[in-house]
Amino acid sequence: MTATAMEQDGYNLRLYVAGQTPKSLAALANLKKLCETHLPGRYTIEVIDLMKDPALAQRDQIVAIPTLIRQLPEPLKRIIGDLSNAEKVLVGLDIAPS
Amino acid sequence: MAAKDVMQAARPRNEAEETVEAIHRGNVDAVVVQGPSGPQIIMLQGADAPYHVLVERMSDGALTLDADGSIVYVNSRLCALTGLSAQQLVGRSFASLFAGPVPQQRADDAVSDAQLRRSDSDGLPVSVWMRQMAMGGVAATLVTLTDMSIQRRAEEVATAERFARSILEQATDAVVVLALDGRITHASWVAEQLAERSPVGQLFSEAFPLDAQSASQQGTLTRFSRESLDRALATKPFHGVEVALRNERMSGRSFLLSGGPLVNDAKDTVGSIITLTDITERKRAEEQQTMLVAELNHRVKNILAIVQSVAGQTLRTSPSLPAFNKAFSGRIQAVSIAHDILTQTRWIGIGFNELLTTVLAPYGVGEGRIAIEGPPVLLEARLVLPLSMVLHELATNASKYGALSAPLGQVTISWRRCDDRNRLELVWIERGGPRVERSGTRGFGTTLIDRVVRFDLDGEAALDFEPEGIHCRLTFALTAETSPEHPPASAVQPD
Repeated sequence: MTATAMEQDGYNLRLYVAGQTPKSLAALANLKKLCETHLPGRYTIEVIDLMKDPALAQRDQIVAIPTLIRQLPEPLKRIIGDLSNAEKVLVGLDIAPS
Repeated sequence: MAAKDVMQAARPRNEAEETVEAIHRGNVDAVVVQGPSGPQIIMLQGADAPYHVLVERMSDGALTLDADGSIVYVNSRLCALTGLSAQQLVGRSFASLFAGPVPQQRADDAVSDAQLRRSDSDGLPVSVWMRQMAMGGVAATLVTLTDMSIQRRAEEVATAERFARSILEQATDAVVVLALDGRITHASWVAEQLAERSPVGQLFSEAFPLDAQSASQQGTLTRFSRESLDRALATKPFHGVEVALRNERMSGRSFLLSGGPLVNDAKDTVGSIITLTDITERKRAEEQQTMLVAELNHRVKNILAIVQSVAGQTLRTSPSLPAFNKAFSGRIQAVSIAHDILTQTRWIGIGFNELLTTVLAPYGVGEGRIAIEGPPVLLEARLVLPLSMVLHELATNASKYGALSAPLGQVTISWRRCDDRNRLELVWIERGGPRVERSGTRGFGTTLIDRVVRFDLDGEAALDFEPEGIHCRLTFALTAETSPEHPPASAVQPD
């Protein structure tokens, strides 16, 4: 896949967590599983721990944890919760089930 | 309005609804709120449950204080350490937990030592870590307490071990500690020297093979087989068994073997402490002392015989009581000087030159009246008394009638070894005194010289009364062939 293709097809995801809370751990695990299944090789995940730096919450106007932000492809999308409902996450991220 | 703007405007409402719904469904465990100094994370109930489990399970005591220093949370370990329930602890002041100084948070995040009060016993040494932090906008202090009693106990044991070891190292006796099976667990430096290597781990009988020193104690030792001896040493107290080590390097040396039980805190016997004291020198000193006492006895009897004889003879040959007094005192003085010499030289003997100087000191040996000349000769102790008496007689005679009675008279004393260096020839020549006229009678002095030289010194005396002065030649053996057991000839009555 070329850089252009990555820009076109790739998913840049950002997961906001609060330390190792159960929902944060569950959200990360669910997200990784879902991406490996539906977006193999086409995604990046950035995990941001707001316990370490609460000020980072302002950047994406986070109000609840965990929150997943889809930065790319645009438009920006957010999903709140532990991402345990895979169907809802796929819809929320505009990913067609493979 | 563009379609994008419509979406932007619509989003906050949807997101707010979504957030509320997520919280409502329990899908989130923390929320971000705007605090006075920026965003703050507020944990929802249950989010910190894993941490609670960890804190409850940890081996250190943990507690949380509010801004006033009151306890708001304790873990179960802290309850165990203090002997109080969580209910009793929550709400109390932090300071009330401690006997003595209350620990404070340290700038370097280090721990500090404190004494934790306990409900049922003495205080418990703890090390305390503290850190202040804001929790949900409220100031709080987190504290952990580590029980140091086990570590302190280990340190005390290590100190006691070092103490015991230093005693072992300094001991002048060989000291070993035996376990109940007779194996050596500790050994002093002296014990290692005796065994020629570290005996630790060996059976006592292997490291120190023993022989009894006396027949009666031989029975004590041979009653035991090697194995039973090791067991007996490890379990039974005993004192003062004289033994020798079956070791070439230690042959001829005697040891005193003693042992006693080693008990632990519970008063159980866990082994024994065995000492091997080298008593070789002590025994040697005892033997020497016994010998000296017998010798002293023998000599005192001889001296009394001499005094008795000298007194009788002096009395018989003295014209008056004052003359007796003077002659007798002089002769006893000679005996006394001889004994002083023997005592000072510990009965080892003295150089001939030194003997002459000491005995003749009252007659001016250092003032040019008496000249002495001869090679260095060491006299045995047995020669000291008879020679002193002979020299005294010659000197007394010289000062009364001979060379030393005249202002310019002189005595020359010379000696040499003769007869293959086994004998000494002494020549006493007087010159410058009054003219000598030989009288027909022999005084006691002459008799004494003759007898002492013949019998006590195993020699000969030639006394010539030449007109210009006395010429005396003595020869005597320097080494006795046998030690005379009979009283000295000086004590024998003259013919």
